[in-house]
Amino acid sequence: MKRKAFIWIIGFVAFLGILFSTNALGASNVVIGHPACISGKYAKAGEQAIGGIKAVVDWVNNMYGGILVGGKRIPLKYKYYDAESKKEGVTSLIERLITVDKVNVVFSAYSSGLTLAGAPVAERYNMLYMDHGGASDRIFQQGFQYIVQTIGPGSKYHIGTLNMFDHFDPQARRVALAYEDSEFARMTMQGAEKHARQLGYNVIFKRTYPKGVTDLTPLLSDMKVRKPDIVLGGGHYEDGQLLTRQMADLDINVKGLSLVASVTLPAYYDSLGGHIAEGVMGPSHWEYGVTYSPEGAMKVGLDWIGPTQDEFVNLFKKAVGKDLVPEYHAAEAGAQVLAYVKAAENINSLDPSKVRAALGKLKFMSFYGGWEIDDTGMQIGHTMVDMQWQHGGKRVIVWPLEAATGKLVYPKPNF
Amino acid sequence: MIFELLPGNLTHGLLLGGVYGLATMGLSLIFGVMNVVNVGHGQFIMVGAFVALTLFTALGLSPLFAIPAALVLGMALGFFLFYTVMRRLIKAPELASLLATFAIGILLEEVMKLIFGSDFRGYNWAVGKISLPITTIPMSKLYAFVGSIVIALFLYLWFSKTRLGTAVRAVVEDSEGAKVCGVNVGWIFALSFAIGIGLTVMSGVLLTMFIPVGINPYMGGIYTLKAFVIAVLGGLTSPYGAFFAGLIFGLVENGAYVLFAQIPGVAPFPLTVSFAFWILFFLLLVKPTGLLGSK
Repeated sequence: MKRKAFIWIIGFVAFLGILFSTNALGASNVVIGHPACISGKYAKAGEQAIGGIKAVVDWVNNMYGGILVGGKRIPLKYKYYDAESKKEGVTSLIERLITVDKVNVVFSAYSSGLTLAGAPVAERYNMLYMDHGGASDRIFQQGFQYIVQTIGPGSKYHIGTLNMFDHFDPQARRVALAYEDSEFARMTMQGAEKHARQLGYNVIFKRTYPKGVTDLTPLLSDMKVRKPDIVLGGGHYEDGQLLTRQMADLDINVKGLSLVASVTLPAYYDSLGGHIAEGVMGPSHWEYGVTYSPEGAMKVGLDWIGPTQDEFVNLFKKAVGKDLVPEYHAAEAGAQVLAYVKAAENINSLDPSKVRAALGKLKFMSFYGGWEIDDTGMQIGHTMVDMQWQHGGKRVIVWPLEAATGKLVYPKPNF
Repeated sequence: MIFELLPGNLTHGLLLGGVYGLATMGLSLIFGVMNVVNVGHGQFIMVGAFVALTLFTALGLSPLFAIPAALVLGMALGFFLFYTVMRRLIKAPELASLLATFAIGILLEEVMKLIFGSDFRGYNWAVGKISLPITTIPMSKLYAFVGSIVIALFLYLWFSKTRLGTAVRAVVEDSEGAKVCGVNVGWIFALSFAIGIGLTVMSGVLLTMFIPVGINPYMGGIYTLKAFVIAVLGGLTSPYGAFFAGLIFGLVENGAYVLFAQIPGVAPFPLTVSFAFWILFFLLLVKPTGLLGSK
């Protein structure tokens, strides 16, 4: 009798273990956890990321049939909370997602600072931590084992931009750097400065401004007297608008102006009343109009996975419930879901350590472009494009030439 | 380089300082009359920025029309918040009013996000520029500065020449004494709160005339911080002190940059921000009541 009861108890405990273990192959869902930026200063990027993830989760569940692991197709579930764009929100929510919600993978919040803040928490729980919003190279210099990047590294943002200026105007040699004193922008501009010097540019001005700045007049007046040909800079959103607006106010006309992050948002063009933004460009991880396709993947010997560009756009609109064109923040977050799915299928497991190892060997192409990481988890397979605002609010991909959807307007029209 | 940059920067600093000053007068007025620290101050500035943006983009109205509209809206909001929330907290511990204004600020942010979304917006009121030998000044900045001076002057005249203004000053000095003299202190509290909020919302319009981009539900936080520094510099309970302190703050913010930029290897902008706090620190050592504050 006692033996029978003991066997029953053991059996019941084992049943509960299987029932509540999301890592088990018998899991009813594979759960993606995300400390999203729904409110706070990164709410705009957060909205895009949520839309991108929902769109691709929709594709995986309803068009692809779910993740094929252990001979079964398991649907994806997306669990997210509002981290309010704050570090303390990110760290506590990651802990909650891992310990309470028992997610299979954690996606990072937007921005390098927030991604870096969450990494040690994921690491403590040996949890796979996928980064679609933190571009700083420094995140990958800390020795974290479980972090994997989909967004490209910050140090590469302006490589193409400088190559482009060098290609079109070898005479323009005076470069000014004006950027936000943030983790992401510092890394971006370090990369830009290094590459500019390699190309023989003369970096005549290099100044930072603090986060949350409301007036850049002193810095820009200083820059104006140095007479740069090309200005590179920015940081996130409002500062990019401010920098452009106040350059126009002070009549600082240059041949080329390229800013990170803010320029790629439609709100940038609208907020500047259109014409002030014309000719300004920015590096982008993805633009509507890029030409990645299953045929293109086959040509370069890569596997293709995921929706086509137009399918992604439609799924994104359905996910956000409005007629909104996705930006690169949405695309990179969506592509990250595909990387997870592909790696889990390749290793036939949902165990975070095994999926992390599989991601290290993964190479594929999707609507977002190429995907491959190095030993530290940093993205090396994705190439950026440069977009430019042109007359009438047209967004044109101007670099690299093989991806261009229009001609570069150069020099930039005066404000 | 220093002589090339300093006159232009000081000019811009003076213009911006006038707007900063006006943006702080509401904070000082509310603290002076009700002893309430409005931690949600910047969020009311944000509301004003959205008033200017909406009138310009939806109706094509110049921000000059948005100034009175923002005052009316701000005062209505002030009366509403006073009679629903603040009236109950006047005699409560200071922490209660602090938390209440903090909560109101968050509520305003989320309501505005619900209505306008989280995009960083802006508008382009192209009214020309003046090119001076020392710098270029957009006319919109000049209008914002002149607007601030006129409003501050009007407020000064109202405080010093009208019975109602005198009653407000009496309540600032001694609310119990004013009550004994027949002043309806409850009404003065309500009116002062409404005027304070009205001024703050109105200053949001003027700020967008100076900086017409980056308008976002979460833009207010940085202005709360600046307003606190300026208010303390000016004497906390003195709206005029706040105005003059705003001018000084603007001059320091823009002028100090030029000086720090001459030091090799130094990032002048972050140093400029901390310099304003050093000025505040030393002023409080010398005159703890602020520029125009009294004991």
